[in-house]
Amino acid sequence: MSDALRYDDVTFTYPDTETPALAAVDVSVPEGAFALAIGPTGAGKSTFLRAANGLVPHFTGGTFSGRVTVAGRDTLSEPPRRLADAVAFVPQDAAASFVVDRVEDELAYGMENLGVDPRLMRRRVEEMLDLLDLASLRDRSVRTLSGGERQRVAIGAALAAGPDLLVLDEPTSQLDPQGAENVMAALQRLVHDHGITVLLAEHRLERVAGWVDLAFGVEQGRVRSGSPAEVIRSLAVGPPVAELGRALGWDPLPLTVRDARDVVRTMAVPSHPVLATREAPGEVLAEVRGLDLSYDRTPALRGVDLDLRAGEVVALMGRNGAGKSSLLRVIAGVQHADAGLVHTNGHGPRPGVDVALCPQESDSVLFSDSVALEIRATLAARDASDVEPWLDALDITELAAVHPRDLSAGQRLLVATAAIAATGAPILLLDEPTRGLDPAAKGRLTRFVRAHAASGGAVVVATHDVELAAGVASRVVMLAAGEVIADGDPAVVLGDSRVFAPQMTRVFGPGWLTPEQVVEALA
Amino acid sequence: MSAASVSAPRVRTEAALGKPRARVVLLVVANALGVLAFLWPFLLPALAGPASENHKVDGPWILLGVVGILGALLFLEMGRGGMGPKVVSLVAVLGAAIVALRLPGFIAGFSAMFIVVLVAGNAFGPSFGFLLGAVGMFASGLFVGGLGPWLPFEMVAFGWVGAGAGLLPGAGTPWGIRIGALAAYGALAGVVYGAIMNLWTWPFLADGSAIAWDPSGTFAENLRHYLSFYLVTSLAWDMARAVGNVVLVVALGRPLLGALDRAAKRMRLSIVPVTTAARRSATSVG
Amino acid sequence: MTDRARPAIHPVAWIAWVSAASLISLSTTDPVYLLLLWATAWFVYQAQRIPGPMARSFRMFLAAGVITVVLRTALVLFTPVGSRDVLFALLEGLRLGTLLVLFGTFNAVTDPFGLVRLAPKHFHEPALATALALSITPRTVASVGKVREAQRLRGLSTGGLRSLPALVVPVLERGIEEAGTLAESMDARGHGRGPRTRYRPERWSTASLAVVGAAAVGAAAFVATAVTARVPLHPATDPLALSSPDPVLLGAIALLALPGLMPGGADR
Repeated sequence: MSDALRYDDVTFTYPDTETPALAAVDVSVPEGAFALAIGPTGAGKSTFLRAANGLVPHFTGGTFSGRVTVAGRDTLSEPPRRLADAVAFVPQDAAASFVVDRVEDELAYGMENLGVDPRLMRRRVEEMLDLLDLASLRDRSVRTLSGGERQRVAIGAALAAGPDLLVLDEPTSQLDPQGAENVMAALQRLVHDHGITVLLAEHRLERVAGWVDLAFGVEQGRVRSGSPAEVIRSLAVGPPVAELGRALGWDPLPLTVRDARDVVRTMAVPSHPVLATREAPGEVLAEVRGLDLSYDRTPALRGVDLDLRAGEVVALMGRNGAGKSSLLRVIAGVQHADAGLVHTNGHGPRPGVDVALCPQESDSVLFSDSVALEIRATLAARDASDVEPWLDALDITELAAVHPRDLSAGQRLLVATAAIAATGAPILLLDEPTRGLDPAAKGRLTRFVRAHAASGGAVVVATHDVELAAGVASRVVMLAAGEVIADGDPAVVLGDSRVFAPQMTRVFGPGWLTPEQVVEALA
Repeated sequence: MSAASVSAPRVRTEAALGKPRARVVLLVVANALGVLAFLWPFLLPALAGPASENHKVDGPWILLGVVGILGALLFLEMGRGGMGPKVVSLVAVLGAAIVALRLPGFIAGFSAMFIVVLVAGNAFGPSFGFLLGAVGMFASGLFVGGLGPWLPFEMVAFGWVGAGAGLLPGAGTPWGIRIGALAAYGALAGVVYGAIMNLWTWPFLADGSAIAWDPSGTFAENLRHYLSFYLVTSLAWDMARAVGNVVLVVALGRPLLGALDRAAKRMRLSIVPVTTAARRSATSVG
Repeated sequence: MTDRARPAIHPVAWIAWVSAASLISLSTTDPVYLLLLWATAWFVYQAQRIPGPMARSFRMFLAAGVITVVLRTALVLFTPVGSRDVLFALLEGLRLGTLLVLFGTFNAVTDPFGLVRLAPKHFHEPALATALALSITPRTVASVGKVREAQRLRGLSTGGLRSLPALVVPVLERGIEEAGTLAESMDARGHGRGPRTRYRPERWSTASLAVVGAAAVGAAAFVATAVTARVPLHPATDPLALSSPDPVLLGAIALLALPGLMPGGADR
């Protein structure tokens, strides 16, 4: 079998930069492979992907040596638009890549560019609709689609032109678990049933690690290929089962819950999980009683009762549309409820004073020319000026002079969180912070959250990320259709759930939340 | 920045758009014709000879001719092809800002549209500025359901506002000078735009009064008449707009230009062709 | 703004219609013909308007038309050096107003996305930029709202000139980033590669052809009359001397009313 994609000694440096983004990359992707590129942020994954269809270097500029061959064609001599029939490229933000309004027209756009005959276009559009399970959406406006549906439309739009290689940049990072599942299943079908070669970059390894058969570890511009288990082991990243396997020296490294259970079957399992001793929560910082909220007659919150106490880290979980964001916004004081009340210190919450909320699109918060100035802007509003402690709290001191837009998504989230935390509000609310977050930034965020709670504040994190909840929360609240359906210790609430159970629970049973817990018990 | 890497501190997408010399000449001529076309009420009597009752009724026909010339100008400027995905997407995003500003509910929104073409024209160059002005005016007209018979005039005039901003000092000049020049230009543009758009309806008033269009008058006479007309009709609005422009440029110019300059830098690139022999050695692009 | 189903009358036919009607209104100041055009505009609007936000354009332009007439007349009455030829000003104003009303109809019966989709190949890129600008606008407006809220959440004030940069810069920067993603995606999908084909070409229905034909004949009648000076098109105003309406010209205007008789609006 020949190679779908080949990198021959490729070195690339962005314009006005010293260090190469890709250094002597010499790997190949065989036809029909399902390949994954892993690595820390800024290591070069994006660049690696974009070299596949010539966006690097034609779109970005820079200095390029070596050769990238796609289906026998050299990317240096053919610009991206000429390679559109050989490589399908799907960016992370599918919504921003749409050109027309209707799904059907979007699927056809690429083919129009290639001058494909209208009758052939029609046939191919129908094929894409079936291939990606989009038939019921053909007349819809792309703006009304869910995240997972949008991603599938973007895939179909890129594939309609006929290429056999599909390159995706973090396709599931913006999606909820269900949407991510659908996209991964669609990719699986494309590879196994239709012989498409797929190469994707992803952080959320617990979702994809089990599906792929080839991995590329990208670190500081260098790329190593190998089996997923090898690469994950060498990069010290991975889903919790892999972390566990690394800590216990298992070989081969388990990548899925199933792999882990296979290993566990043959060993002595600790029977009783050591329930983490939780600090008794302190005084009540906020009271929420009987909240009702509707948008345009659609109920978003129904009779929500909640207390937030000092020292708590609450994970607020639930499906998309369950009401998490609405609840956070009411508690923050920027949204008025139709009925019920929120009290902080005996009065309604003042945004930025009693409660601070970092919104889902954390980029909306940033407007200054440097990280330090960003934090100063918040401090200036309350006549404070000491930027240092806030930079320290989120471990971003080295970024103080950088322009926020030059940072990675994860770093931007940390800066936004710092800017929000600098209000000094005791109650911090974070809405879906883990979207697009890489492991390094996730670690810093986790440490910050714990520290804030430990110093007498309270933190509420709305999230889909089960592993984050398992790792950091002292309490889990589940929302469904605007109502609170569960509220208690993570070991109990997450242990009870099938959908929201962390990997350790699925392997060892209820009560087991994190790999560290298991390792400690076995030691 | 070293002397070699960027020869002029102003990095513009002009390079990426590619402009052969003949095209430039054609554009200059077309724009000049456009200016003459706008000024037809002043020029017609002088050009067409002695007074004639017919001029009064010919007026509208001339108007159509003028529309035709402007249409040709737009055709040339916008229909070149070779805009490329970067320019298209930037025009789209900035155009969306223009449309959003014109939405009902934004008081003085129509005037606020100016700041967008002013800063974008200054950051990206005259060609881009014209394109953005024309597309922005058209798109916003579509959106608010307000495509009027004056549309070609609006598009060209607003395009010229953007193009003019592109001729002012750009990235690299000290902020004081850059913002000052842009603010002054913004004030001027605000008034001149109103004056030339008002010119559109003026010839419909040809009743022989001292503020009316005189089909048989000289350039100077008509100019005087028009100034009186302008004073009575739209001067106040235009002055307000001019002031608004100055305020917005001073308040927002620097942060907006900062962001746009960075975008211009990222988008500036063009490919240096590579020979096969040089393939395996480092290839510098851009 | 979502795409609508293909309308019965091709948007280019509407352009022909409004051009012809404008030509007619520019060629005469006879109030009989002009007012008939107002009626025609309303008639066609009623039958062919596309429900939705665009429908209010007609009312807007109608109001503008009426205001123009009033203002023109007032201008002459109150200018110290005016000619006091009120009737002349009225007729001139009426002519201008007619143009506005006709465009009101045009706006209400055409779908903006349809117009843009049909741009000839030469204009493909500017047309694409226009269509994109229209579809990105709601996102931009939403962005402003989100940024405003984000500022409140930080405890920063949201009113006044001082807070404008904090509002505008994030919206712009996010827009620029999205433009980058869009450009990448367009490039990767072959934009600018070569000659394009159209997925759903708009077909010219008989109705559309009829509209164009009728409009052309109507305009031609007026142009011919103006050139040959067969009948007077501009009544004297001092004193007012109206000539009896010419049947040919009345017929020409009636032709313009043709779209009003056709099955209307966009099929849903």
